[in-house]
Amino acid sequence: MMEYMTTTAHMSTGDRHRTGSPVVSFTNVSKSFGDVRAVSELDLQLRAGETVALLGPNGAGKSSTLDLLLGLRNPDAGRVEVFGTTPQQAIARGKVGAMLQSGGLMEDVKVRELVKLACDLHPRAYPVDQVLEHADLRDIADRMVNKLSGGQEQRVRFALATAGANELVVLDEPTTGMDVSARQAFWGVMRAQARAGRAILFATHYLEEADAIADRVIVLHRGRVIADGSAAEIKAKAGARRIVFDLDGYIGEGALRELPFLSSLEISGRTVRIQSHDADATVHALYGLGLYPRNLEVAGLGLEQAFIAITDAATAEEAAK
Amino acid sequence: MNTLIKLEIQRTLRNKKFMFFSVLYPAGLYLLIAGGASSTELVKGTDLTLPLLMMVSMASFGAITAVLVGNSERIAKEREKGWVRQLRLTALPGRGYVTAKVASAAVVSLPSILVVFLIAALVKDVRFDAAWQWFALTGAIWAGSIVFAALGVAVGYLATGDAVRPITFIIYFGLSILGGLWMPITTFPKWLQDVAEWMPTHAYAALGQSIELGNGPEVKDVAVLVAYLVIFGGAAAWLYRKDTRKA
Ligand SMILES: Nc1ncnc2c1ncn2[C@@H]1O[C@H](COP(=O)(O)OP(=O)(O)OP(=O)(O)O)[C@@H](O)[C@H]1O
Ligand SMILES: [Mg+2]
Repeated sequence: MMEYMTTTAHMSTGDRHRTGSPVVSFTNVSKSFGDVRAVSELDLQLRAGETVALLGPNGAGKSSTLDLLLGLRNPDAGRVEVFGTTPQQAIARGKVGAMLQSGGLMEDVKVRELVKLACDLHPRAYPVDQVLEHADLRDIADRMVNKLSGGQEQRVRFALATAGANELVVLDEPTTGMDVSARQAFWGVMRAQARAGRAILFATHYLEEADAIADRVIVLHRGRVIADGSAAEIKAKAGARRIVFDLDGYIGEGALRELPFLSSLEISGRTVRIQSHDADATVHALYGLGLYPRNLEVAGLGLEQAFIAITDAATAEEAAK
Repeated sequence: MNTLIKLEIQRTLRNKKFMFFSVLYPAGLYLLIAGGASSTELVKGTDLTLPLLMMVSMASFGAITAVLVGNSERIAKEREKGWVRQLRLTALPGRGYVTAKVASAAVVSLPSILVVFLIAALVKDVRFDAAWQWFALTGAIWAGSIVFAALGVAVGYLATGDAVRPITFIIYFGLSILGGLWMPITTFPKWLQDVAEWMPTHAYAALGQSIELGNGPEVKDVAVLVAYLVIFGGAAAWLYRKDTRKA
């Protein structure tokens, strides 16, 4: 189904990974809207073949960052380069495909007509029918664009962003409003693009998407990068692991509180839930107390909890200033 | 780029309400104003009848309104909805965008001109000495309307949201009055006459008048219109590419 997108995959991802000149480079970029500092002294580099998730709470500056990257806005200070040139030039050369968070569509045209337009405007376009097929638009190709449901519109935007062979694909909350199967099809196509060596940058609030798709996660908070690394590194940065077990008989809460590296303790019935900065040491001490924990589980925090921990910490730090 | 031009024309034709009013209201105005006028009596100081004079001015007026107001409002709306943002993420050059918008406006203005002519000929028995005058007039008024279509694109980019309509109308009335469409410029003070002579609206009206009188179009008027087309079209293309405010 996605042969044509992988035909250019002769260069293995490993070769291109983190090599060569940056695909995107932000140097000390700032952008304000009135009093609001949407992007603040941002430094950021993206390399060929990377799949990068941009996370952050509402208003963190994700869309603003992507707008700057795409040349839809100019920075107040700093420099944005895409493939070594201005964003506008990179786009004019057909190197960038993008899906906007709030991109309106042309009215009074059919889905197929609009997709055909995108294909005709792209210097290295794919055939219209294939683009329609990938975006799962074949059944609604003859519908008017302004009569579509929200998720269908989103699929049209996806088709517009992937009408040709881009080297960088930028997606702002791409799967918002898509149903489960549309979402799966979407990431299927994106994975194929990544395998073909394309750089992908996407903003999202679905952390499981970031966890499953991205090989690099950047967390923005009030226009600044507060974490940048693999999903595993982000989870580790949040620091804590989760320990869950059951206890029979008397549970001495006081003794449990004395366990080393504890960051939280919660007891409900027989079940004890602990967050610890050093799970090995905590569990060792647990046995040292002479207790016999049953059904013991030790797990890392999910990306979601890690994300919350990191952003909460950043908020607290800012409040302390 | 050709696909965009075709698509813009197609979707304009699909917008029935817009087409209906744009095409028919100049003809309606014509009937209102020239409907009762005598078809043989000459207007003072000319050897033309009122129905004939009004036919040309209503066709021009209708064409300007349709393309200037139509373009600026539609473009401002598209910008607001974010379609233009999406379009700017394609390799389309600014001139392609402007050409497409001008072409879709021309599709509206041609029938509106023809309908006025048709009504004038059928209802008010307007006739010319030579058949070429009909064709020349249609061509001149239609081609001239392109200048204002380009201006409409530029205005659609200069203004945002609620400001579009008032700004369009200020420009529109300003140009009409200054160009002498509403009163002869001979009533203006000398310095204003000098200004008026270089207005696109003045050159536009003069084009039609000289054909009415059986002369060919003046070179100066054509040159003025072409110069304005370049200025407005260039400004529109530049604004399309540079628009980073509301985008
Ligand atoms: N056009 C604008 N005018 C004024 N303020 C703006 C504008 N665009 C964005 N902002 C402000 O800039 C900040 C960053 O907004 P941005 O849209 O980049 O956030 P985001 O991370 O994409 O959020 P979300 O997850 O809600 O999409 C917000 O505080 C927002 O209010
Ligand atoms: Mg956003």
